[in-house]
Amino acid sequence: MDPRIELLKAQTRRTFLGRTALGLGAAALASLEGRTWAQDAARTDALAPKAPAFAPKAKNVIYLYMAGSPSQLDLFDYKPELQKRDGELCPKEFFEGKRFAFIRGQPNLLGTPFRFAQHGQSGAWITEHLPRFAKVIDKVALIRSMHTDQFNHAPAQLFLLTGTPVFGGATLGSWVTYGLGSEASDLPGFVVLVTGGKKPSAGKSIWGSGFLPTVYQGVQCRTNGDPVLFLSDPPGTDRIGRRQMLDALAALNRRTLERDGDPETETRIQQYELAYRMQVSVPDVMDISKEPQEVLDLYGARPGHRSVSDGADDPRAVTQGNDAAFANSCLLARRLVERGTRFVQIFDWGWDHHGVAPGEDIPNNLPLKCQQIDRAMSGLLIDLERRGLLDETLVVWGGEFGRTPMRQNAGAKFIGRDHHADAYTMWLAGGGIEGGQVIGATDEFGYSITEDPISVRDLQATMLHLLGLDAWKLTYPYQGLNQRLIGPEGEGTILEKLIRA
Amino acid sequence: MLELWRPITGSGLALLMTVAAPAFAEDVDFALEVRPLLAARCFPCHGPDEKHREADLRLDLRESATAHRGEYRVIDPDRPEGSELLYRVRAGGIERMPPESSGPPLTDREVALLERWISEGAEYSPHWSFRPIAPPPLPDVNDKAWPRSPLDHFALARLESSGLTPAEEADRATLLRRVTLDLTGLPPTAAERDRFLSDTSPRAYEKLVDRLLDSPAFGERWAAVWLDLARYADTKGYEKDLGRSIWRYRDWVIEAFNRDLPYDRFLIEQVAGDLLDSPDLDQRIATAFHRNTMTNDEGGTDDEEFRIAAVKDRVDTTGQVLMGLTVGCAKCHSHKYDPITQRAYYELFAFFDQTEDADRFDEAPVISAPTKEQQDTITSLERQIAELDASLERRGEAAQAAVAAWSSEWWREQSRAEGHLAPTKATDWEVTGPYVAEAGASAFRSVFPPEPGYVGTEAVLWTRQPEWPDATAHILDPAPNAAVYLRRRLIVPSDRQLELQLGSDDGLEVWVDGRSVLQRDVARGVAPNQDRVSVDLSAGEHELILAVINRGGDAAFWFAIGDELRGGVPIALARSFALDWDQRTEADRGLTTDLWLARVDPIGRRLNADREALTARLETVRASVPTVPVFRELPPDRHRTTRIHRRGNFLDPGEEVSPKALENLLPWSPEWPKNRLGLARWITDPSNPLTARVLVNRTWARLFGSGIVETEEDFGAQGALPSHPKLLDHLAADVVRSGWSFKSLCRTLVLSSTYRQSSAVTPEKLERDPRNRLLSRGPRVRLPGEMVRDAALSVSGLLNPERFGPSVMPYQPPGVWQAVYNTAEWQTSPGDERHRRALYTYWRRTSPYPALEMFDLPSREICTPRRIRTNTPLQALVTLNDPAFVECAQALARQSVRRATPVRWMFEQALLREPEPGELGSLSGLLQARRAHFANDREAALARTGEPLDEGSDLAEVAALTAVAQVILNLDEFLTKR
Repeated sequence: MDPRIELLKAQTRRTFLGRTALGLGAAALASLEGRTWAQDAARTDALAPKAPAFAPKAKNVIYLYMAGSPSQLDLFDYKPELQKRDGELCPKEFFEGKRFAFIRGQPNLLGTPFRFAQHGQSGAWITEHLPRFAKVIDKVALIRSMHTDQFNHAPAQLFLLTGTPVFGGATLGSWVTYGLGSEASDLPGFVVLVTGGKKPSAGKSIWGSGFLPTVYQGVQCRTNGDPVLFLSDPPGTDRIGRRQMLDALAALNRRTLERDGDPETETRIQQYELAYRMQVSVPDVMDISKEPQEVLDLYGARPGHRSVSDGADDPRAVTQGNDAAFANSCLLARRLVERGTRFVQIFDWGWDHHGVAPGEDIPNNLPLKCQQIDRAMSGLLIDLERRGLLDETLVVWGGEFGRTPMRQNAGAKFIGRDHHADAYTMWLAGGGIEGGQVIGATDEFGYSITEDPISVRDLQATMLHLLGLDAWKLTYPYQGLNQRLIGPEGEGTILEKLIRA
Repeated sequence: MLELWRPITGSGLALLMTVAAPAFAEDVDFALEVRPLLAARCFPCHGPDEKHREADLRLDLRESATAHRGEYRVIDPDRPEGSELLYRVRAGGIERMPPESSGPPLTDREVALLERWISEGAEYSPHWSFRPIAPPPLPDVNDKAWPRSPLDHFALARLESSGLTPAEEADRATLLRRVTLDLTGLPPTAAERDRFLSDTSPRAYEKLVDRLLDSPAFGERWAAVWLDLARYADTKGYEKDLGRSIWRYRDWVIEAFNRDLPYDRFLIEQVAGDLLDSPDLDQRIATAFHRNTMTNDEGGTDDEEFRIAAVKDRVDTTGQVLMGLTVGCAKCHSHKYDPITQRAYYELFAFFDQTEDADRFDEAPVISAPTKEQQDTITSLERQIAELDASLERRGEAAQAAVAAWSSEWWREQSRAEGHLAPTKATDWEVTGPYVAEAGASAFRSVFPPEPGYVGTEAVLWTRQPEWPDATAHILDPAPNAAVYLRRRLIVPSDRQLELQLGSDDGLEVWVDGRSVLQRDVARGVAPNQDRVSVDLSAGEHELILAVINRGGDAAFWFAIGDELRGGVPIALARSFALDWDQRTEADRGLTTDLWLARVDPIGRRLNADREALTARLETVRASVPTVPVFRELPPDRHRTTRIHRRGNFLDPGEEVSPKALENLLPWSPEWPKNRLGLARWITDPSNPLTARVLVNRTWARLFGSGIVETEEDFGAQGALPSHPKLLDHLAADVVRSGWSFKSLCRTLVLSSTYRQSSAVTPEKLERDPRNRLLSRGPRVRLPGEMVRDAALSVSGLLNPERFGPSVMPYQPPGVWQAVYNTAEWQTSPGDERHRRALYTYWRRTSPYPALEMFDLPSREICTPRRIRTNTPLQALVTLNDPAFVECAQALARQSVRRATPVRWMFEQALLREPEPGELGSLSGLLQARRAHFANDREAALARTGEPLDEGSDLAEVAALTAVAQVILNLDEFLTKR
């Protein structure tokens, strides 16, 4: 007989007798009945750590998501020729037969208004507005040759993170926690932090579990109010009172368990106990004031900081370079990963620099956004490294697409670029990434890739690979298909170049 | 666990088949035993998908599988042992099939199954769910006393063949709670319990069920189920996720369930109500079913791209909801497992490709959909107005001579020269801007250089626009929070009153000769005549300036000169006054009479005043009438050409296709029109093998916890097999025979002995039927999110049972809504509006109501055929800490203090049974401990009890009872249907 069934029987008997401390129940039972396992109660122990498919390079992920998509041409992909021909009419082959979100007619070329210099062993070009990041560039693999299929925000975000441009798919963080579970028993396995004053365009679906059970969806931790919705006891309830309530609740639930014999009741008891522990552990991890000043300074973090962008109708219009929300979130990400959270994703909004409003002006607003992330992301890499966490933590930075070498709305008061799907920049670090290299190149205008094109599928497959998951085999049956992040066609290549031998 | 190949194809399939097998005759059943194996392991390379087909072999077709291939046949029914298939599945190394790259080899059991099947002649039969529904004969059972209905025979036969016996019947209070929750979504009240328990007649349970089926709450309960399928929400989705008025559709669904609209009609009206003969308002509202698709208002999106996304969603949803088919895969490539080619997908798509809607911001076509009360008021006002019109008509006819005299007199007095009645002319528009407001400032309130009243020195450069005619919308340069200015001169031939007609996206300010005459600080899309303003102008030239203030997105304006009045008479009409009465046109005479009645005649003026008052009331009522987006078919001359989208990409059109249903499932009848209505008839034809099975299965799943086919969304080859195929077919045949009555289906299910079993789990059953797939006990499942909320509200007496109407906003923590380019805010509904049932909660797709979302409600961006029940600590935080739930506990506790035994009373309210001594002991212990605490902490007690208490209440006691109430409302037994 299958040893799993033996184990199951032993456990269910114990569960039935009310002696076990660990809920089992329908999910595990169902898992042995084949495909149907996925269809009923996904549960707290669905997040128990699971062995990866093969030896992983990374255990955890911190994904710094730049919602709106920063301009690669003003940050990393330096194009002197474009600067030289700034203001000239754009060559016809760049726009004829192409679809853009906003550009109509023949636009003008737009050179970067910023100075660039080369840094690190790879001689990577970096904008003057990321000075601290330039110093840690040797920890990073910079990819200048990303491309995608989508050029509107919501579909492009969904495609990158859920593998399909339409709604309903499961996001990367959900796939990873589905595949690996989480080491954190009292904390969510997949945490989402939102900075920049708005959620990303695709809304909560971008951290939703889609067809995967909702137990795998990202839990948004907030810096204002309850860090997790409904975490605080109601007014007038103290911890002793809550404990007394839970004891009475457990006593009655155990009576139900004895009477009705349903293992689900045991699961319910555990659910309440875990909630009780989270009420302590979540505020504890969220409290960055416990960090020494030196660490706070490393990130530029400020405990208790409240961002002016929160609640602003148009947060971009009030962007402040010294806004600490992103820095606080980076520090928080480290604290979470340190305590076993599998996947932390920070969605920083406000990178959509079209140049049609004050908050979208590249010369004035982009440096402020850079200032918000420069120290924070550099500090994160340094801090992870000195704690020995960088090797096991994959850090990813980037948006959903890039921006055009052409100016949108020539003649307007502000300067900006339209969406560009054909070439853009991302970087990865830690967790098995070979740092100190620049991968890929684009033409003299930064319009098309000339070297090492890397697709969204390649990136998805490689990120899963680094975590010890096989992107072709990590599947979930839904709608008659074994769904997977990289899509039904199974395109995508593991980017060996990126990976440290 | 990660790789589902193994569990499905290895022990998994075997286990599934042990569940399925005993119900069938001795011969191997191809559809239920062999086909699933072939589909999982062989079809990916040897199935319907031509792109991935290897060796030109199709194992899904007998013809291909048994063909002579030179030396051998893959399946050789004449010489079974010579079948290449058997050789290859037993082989090792490179000869093995399926190859190593496709997973492990077949198990011995699977190989044996294939051997048996081939030796029995390798007969093929259609996939089980594609076979016609034939009512199966009743199986024999040993225990003749147990079955109450044919349904029970099927269930019991299955149990007996597995060596299990049914559970005893649940006690009456448990059954009462179960069936009340199942049929109405609400727990029974204590009064209902007393009524039921004191009814000792043998038909007490039947009477109860009939009462529940007649309850208006029935429609609300089942509408909540349907709305997941219809992907109903109060917003449009995507980035902006702006509000959408579509709640009349939700109310239509509720009423449809309550009046037991036959299920075939229910589907026909939703898919094609607009194509019925003279459809009534309800039938048109029903078509909003497929207008629940998302609309993308994100800047820079291609409307055609997202129109197509919506049409694809309609095709996918139609397949899933109505037929349990996952056709969606075929939009990019032919289905790997089911007989749905890419071409077939776009032939289905063609049915839906001819509706007028096109991802437009205004969601057109939209109809106004008055409620019954509103319609009654409108009809009555219209009748009164018509009566006044008749009186005016009579009065005018009687006074023709007076009218003629008056108008001729006017001509003599007012019109000294023909030129005075010439129309006003205008110079070309000139435009400047956009002027963007400073950070944090409002563009509407900012004074930019072109504006009258600007005191700076900045010069303004105007651009002339000679190509901008009036009465057409013109697009302006968009910039968020910015103003574009327009100016022109009006050349007025004589003193007069001029009406300016205007429209704008978004706000608007108008100056005439430097004087502001209109200010509209609004967010809107442009339309003709959004504003009208009348100005008195003297003969000569006048400067007109407009500021169009954009908040975000597009910017545009619309302008026309309306009526020009001289001495109160429109100049166009006044010219006719020069003629004799008889020489004037009929129309001019009529207009002149109307003018006379309105301005001169005392009786006419009184009638007109009454009419105006009624019209104003009518307008007010009309303005409050909700709208709903609907389906409207394009006229034939505007029909779109439908083409296959290669790899699903609409920019890469392929071959042209015309509408065609999946006719391998059910042939098309020539009586049906080749449009959506025909498709709806095809879907609801009694011979369609899927529609009734899917309905029965879905209903079964909501009542019993999981479907007879567990994959409710997939009845195809990759879906789960039915645990009780004959039971399913019996019920499906029955529902068609009943005239598709949904209420009788529910009635049949809940009256059965199978349903009435106790849900207690014995160790034996836990081991032998762990997930109750064999129906060896009654249903026991966690309550869905809506019931969690509604039960707490109901038990605590807070529930506001009001039905219908716009969605409401119960308490939600601040800061949850935070969407891009959308500044809408959650505003908690006033009074007991916040205590409405869960299905009336405002549903925003990108940010659903958290307390319900955590209990597995889907975002409704797309159709969700089945919620996956989860269990997370976040749910415990909701029911313990969400102020909306705390409020319920407070209300329950406050009522309990008036009772002799408050704890016992609360327990009985919630659970409908007496507490056992041990249970009462635990709760009383908590009460004492908490009472002692609150007696010493008045502030905490005040916070705990919420609203002020009745005079004379013991504060510490109520606070402590609130804690007890919270425990009761969080009990597993309370949060479970058992």
